[in-house]
Amino acid sequence: MLAFAARRLIVSVGLVWAVASLVFLVIHLIPGDPAELLLSQGGIAPDPAAVEELRDRLGLNLPLWTQYLDYMGGLLRGDFGLALQDEHPIVDEIALRLPRTLELVGAAGLIALVFGVPLGVAAALRAGGMLDRLLTAGAGLALSVPVFVLGTLTVLVLAQHLRLVPAGGYVPFARDPGRHILLLLMPAGTIAVGLGAVVFRVMRASVLEVLERDHVRAAQARGVSPAGIIRRHVLRNALTPVVTVVALHLGSLLGGTVLVEFVFNWPGLSGYLVRSVESRDYPEVMGIVLVISALFVLLNFLVDLLYAVIDPRVRHG
Amino acid sequence: MGPTVSRRAVMAGAASLPFLRAPGARAGTPGELTFGLSSFPPSIQPWQNTGTAAATIKLMIYRGLTSYAPDGSLRGELAESWQPIGTQGWEFKLRDARFQNGEKVTSADVKWTIEQIAAERSTAYFRSEMQGVERVETPDDRTVRIILKSPVATLPIMMASYHLPIISRNSPRGTSVGAGPFMIKAQERGVSLELEPFTGFHRAGLPKLKRIRAIAYADENLRVAALRSGDVDLIEYVPWQSMDAIAADPALSLDTVDGAFMFLVFNGSRPPFNDPRVRKAVAHAIKRDELVRAAFFGRGSPLQQLPVAESSPFYNAEFKDGWKYDPDLSKRLLAEAGHAGGISCSLLSTAQYGMHKDTAEVVQQHLAAVGIRAELNMPDWATRVAIGNRGQYDVAVMGTAADSNDPDGIANFIDGSLSPSYVRSFNLKIDRITELLAAGRAEFDQAKRRDIYREVERIAIEQAPMVGLTWRSQGYAMRKQVTGFKNLPGALTFYSGLTFETTDVA
Repeated sequence: MLAFAARRLIVSVGLVWAVASLVFLVIHLIPGDPAELLLSQGGIAPDPAAVEELRDRLGLNLPLWTQYLDYMGGLLRGDFGLALQDEHPIVDEIALRLPRTLELVGAAGLIALVFGVPLGVAAALRAGGMLDRLLTAGAGLALSVPVFVLGTLTVLVLAQHLRLVPAGGYVPFARDPGRHILLLLMPAGTIAVGLGAVVFRVMRASVLEVLERDHVRAAQARGVSPAGIIRRHVLRNALTPVVTVVALHLGSLLGGTVLVEFVFNWPGLSGYLVRSVESRDYPEVMGIVLVISALFVLLNFLVDLLYAVIDPRVRHG
Repeated sequence: MGPTVSRRAVMAGAASLPFLRAPGARAGTPGELTFGLSSFPPSIQPWQNTGTAAATIKLMIYRGLTSYAPDGSLRGELAESWQPIGTQGWEFKLRDARFQNGEKVTSADVKWTIEQIAAERSTAYFRSEMQGVERVETPDDRTVRIILKSPVATLPIMMASYHLPIISRNSPRGTSVGAGPFMIKAQERGVSLELEPFTGFHRAGLPKLKRIRAIAYADENLRVAALRSGDVDLIEYVPWQSMDAIAADPALSLDTVDGAFMFLVFNGSRPPFNDPRVRKAVAHAIKRDELVRAAFFGRGSPLQQLPVAESSPFYNAEFKDGWKYDPDLSKRLLAEAGHAGGISCSLLSTAQYGMHKDTAEVVQQHLAAVGIRAELNMPDWATRVAIGNRGQYDVAVMGTAADSNDPDGIANFIDGSLSPSYVRSFNLKIDRITELLAAGRAEFDQAKRRDIYREVERIAIEQAPMVGLTWRSQGYAMRKQVTGFKNLPGALTFYSGLTFETTDVA
């Protein structure tokens, strides 16, 4: 077991290194000069000497392999470097923004599970009935509405017309817990609509499949109550694919909440990544991608562990 | 055993959360302004150009020797008066002003500031201009003489730039202490800045506000929603599609000026756009009214000459139709240039900004109508800048504002002797324009300057080193309770942050 874990760890570290190297190469190969961009904001022509000076100062005139070795050396020391734009430590910025994105993604996942799992079970138990058809149609609709449309509508209706909530933004939990949760619920809810529909569909299909298995029939034959069958024999078995799907979605959401962050002005990691790419802030881009890929790998590892908890057969063999 | 909470109660509580209104969620506290910025400033380096959002914040915390009054006229700021010394220098008399560290603003600080900007390792926007300073004399604390290597009639205007604030020479390392009306109290990088008034500001009784909270709303629709829902008091960069609705809202007011403009630049290093006839053919092929409607929702006006505001004493009415829509003339010019069968070319723009993208798409259609088949290339902004700097295009769409309302402010766009840049045509040198621009910069007599710039425009209309397309409305919107804030006229629109000193919230 230990050897297996060690092998997994080596592969994971190698994967993260490969991603970091690939991103380093790609971001340096695409056109766009961070020094030029920084000094030519607003469509203004900068002094070429000033641009050259800034390039020198930022180390952008060094050979690419030197920059690569410097960067990787920094990573080994736990140093992500400084942002090119304002020389702010990147680790500090990631440490500030990552929890916000994790919170957003986590809240969205929780809402999706809270609604998706019971509704999926309910629809499966009444397969073909009115409730099932209504819920399935609703899930189809929820899946087909893009998050930016839903987000914009939420802002338009709840904030602009009804004036019930602020039009997006962020307040730290420590400063104002109520307002923090209020501001979190809108983007999290927006993400959860699509994710919840996925959970619903997977849960429904999974429950239908498990209901046909022999051990469920045996339980029915033994006279176990329907609620007991669902709780003890169906739910645990049916949850495995849901966990897989949710974990995969949450992983991709780590760097993919950009539209929601944008629409709701949520200062998380995705928006930070997009702005870094736009300004060609190489160290920022690499730092963020590295963290996201490491988290993705970690998440997959945790999912494997969760499988073992849900399904004892994984644990034993 | 403690009190129990049922699942139903938890669900009901969670469901009701969105309907709770947190206290203090709204703007509208008297004396406190919540300002919706279009983006978070990448950095607030006093002498670097890091964009207009940064410029607005810089205008809150720094001040230069001169600045602009709400009507756009040049006024004294840290200098109370100035006068030329012959043709090679300027003398500024400083007023009794203080930096935010409590120290007096002295001539030594002005000298130190100019030296820092001109330094070898400087990355300042005005580095090359300040390297044109021969020496700075400080006969006493309140007098500073700037002696130049060659005459610069526009130095007092240059000193009003938000890229040229005077900084205390005793600023702690890594910080820049200015003499503006507000001080940064706190900031959350990428999210918001909080500013408090500087009680020692040199204008008595100002600033009026007790607090400014500047929050970045990158999404223009959210910025508008934040204003309309009452989360913020004032927003910048009002999107054109929202201007009518805001203007019709009795709770809000809209302040717009035609300040920034869109234009075309060319690659002058190769055929066919090294031929002025082909460039003129492009100029006369564009239906600018349609462009204003399509790209700016009618919020702008056609620009058929050089971008000098109509209110400027240097505006030349005789050239107002210099590049008017005339497709027959376009076709004739193309035929004269040997392209009767039309031409194929690339049209560079960016998909990152809607106004650039929409402008390019309309221009493409209009060019096609006279036989110019333009293939669109719309990468992200960073790539577009790189391609523009390298001259890897035939025609490109650009949009910006001039440095000032003085005609020297447009030199950047038409002086081909300057280094290659995406903001001007690539390798397109017109020697006579370069000579005239230099002469205009060195001329102190206003009447003679007007003649010089009239000649510049006459040549520009003929040679088309750039082609004006549209003025675009640049707008601020605010709640009716906000007073004292003013959108400055013409190219000075991005200097409107100066009026935060007189702004108040009732």
